[in-house]
Amino acid sequence: MHERLSFYIKRDSVIHRLNPLTKLVLVFAFIGVAFTFPWYWMSLSLFLFVLIPLAFVAKVSREYFFTATRLILPAAGFLFLMQALFQPIGEEIIFQFYFLDATRESLAFAFTIAARIIVMISAFTLLLLTTHPSELMSDLTRRGLPGQFAYVIISTLQILPQMQAKAQTIIAAQRSRGLDTESTFLKRAGSVLPLVGPLVFGSLVEVEERAIAIEARGFTSKKEKTSLHEVPDTVTDKTIRWVLIILIILSISLNLWL
Amino acid sequence: MALVNIQNLTYKYPLTKTPALQNINLQIEQGEFISVIGANGAGKSTLCYALAGFVPHFFKGEISGEIEVDGVASSKSTLDEWVVNVGLAFQNPFNQISGAKYTVFEEIAFGLENAGVPREQMQSRVEEAMKLTGISNLADRSPYSLSGGQQQRVALTSILVMQPKLLVLDEPTSQMDPIGTREVFSVIHNLTQSGMTVVMVEHKVEWIAHFATRVIALKDGSILTEGKPGDVLTSDVLTKNGFGVSRYTSVAREAKKQGLWKKEKLPVTLFEAAEGFNRNA
Repeated sequence: MHERLSFYIKRDSVIHRLNPLTKLVLVFAFIGVAFTFPWYWMSLSLFLFVLIPLAFVAKVSREYFFTATRLILPAAGFLFLMQALFQPIGEEIIFQFYFLDATRESLAFAFTIAARIIVMISAFTLLLLTTHPSELMSDLTRRGLPGQFAYVIISTLQILPQMQAKAQTIIAAQRSRGLDTESTFLKRAGSVLPLVGPLVFGSLVEVEERAIAIEARGFTSKKEKTSLHEVPDTVTDKTIRWVLIILIILSISLNLWL
Repeated sequence: MALVNIQNLTYKYPLTKTPALQNINLQIEQGEFISVIGANGAGKSTLCYALAGFVPHFFKGEISGEIEVDGVASSKSTLDEWVVNVGLAFQNPFNQISGAKYTVFEEIAFGLENAGVPREQMQSRVEEAMKLTGISNLADRSPYSLSGGQQQRVALTSILVMQPKLLVLDEPTSQMDPIGTREVFSVIHNLTQSGMTVVMVEHKVEWIAHFATRVIALKDGSILTEGKPGDVLTSDVLTKNGFGVSRYTSVAREAKKQGLWKKEKLPVTLFEAAEGFNRNA
């Protein structure tokens, strides 16, 4: 069983040492530029010449390619097919699939969308691979993100695997009483119900206890919160952030200009 | 002056007809180890919540009477101020893990972060608290990877680190195996030795007899009887009201009927029973 749901790979790299906010701004810079920069090959270039080298610099290339081949490329490929076949634009038909036509324009459009999605998910993947979630949240909380919001994000990441384990226990318990979980699709769909009840209501009861537990440790205290870990924020970080923000603005203005 | 002073406390949960606590009067001195016993629905947990400020601040409902800890009245305080003085730990160790932290060390520091304790003090206070409960070796583990007994000690440490004046424990060992129970009890025993005031709901009569300084028996929201563990746990009042007694007490009571137990006082623990039967011989 997974102990927790986190992509974080603990390594020592330039990227790992960056302030979490800098990395978050970097992600938004990737998205901003990929979606607005008025050059057809921009997203693909970002992916090939910036994101992939960045994965190597961050020493997470193996984990990144694992995610890319299992998740990002299949998702983008599916999106590409859908857009290419269903976009009702263009005249020049490249190929046909029954009654669906892929035209030169729809293929070009599908390529743009897919490439943008690849850049977006890749940037987020790199962020998650190189940033410890609690570091990200404590840095954002320090900058004014409400503590409750940070708590919801982090505790969800931690509690999901626990709920998964509980669901397994409930399934096993119901099966031992003869619940059919292995026959036709309809029967299996029906057998979800006796699982959902105990899982959902059980979790609701737990929520009250957990609320009491964190309340007992001053969660709603009005005092200014402190943080156990100091998250370094250097001049380099601040400079990088400003450069990235300028890049985003530049990209957007170019888009509006042209 | 007593650390805790409860005057005529009556409390009713929202949407219920009968009060969960009825006319409770209770004084607790600094350093006492009080054990609360009673059947399901007798008001044990409600009493714990009242001491910890969750009744009425969290559960709402109707309350009359007053609870004072260290001279401050609960009604004139808010929950986040109150929890600094009174620590609460309860039954299910799993639900007491905040879920917001990835290591035991961070988990224990969670309360200090909320209280705005400076980083420099945090480090040493967490280390000190972990030493007190003997979990220093777990510092870097994930709280979710621990056994129940370990998790319960983490939960206890997370409360202790906030240095409360009163520690309220609602059946902390009920889901533990014998080893977990012993771990938790030995921690609490050490704490009381160093002057901590503890109120603990517990059913394990022999452990109570060993460690508690006073026992309070609750029935239907009122205090049925209270006093020294040796007196309360062997009294006829308890048996008449359906409380469970230690197996040594029942054996000796039976033996007394047959003239085999000569002492006036009945035993609670194995040690007392052995000693008493030995004197007979």
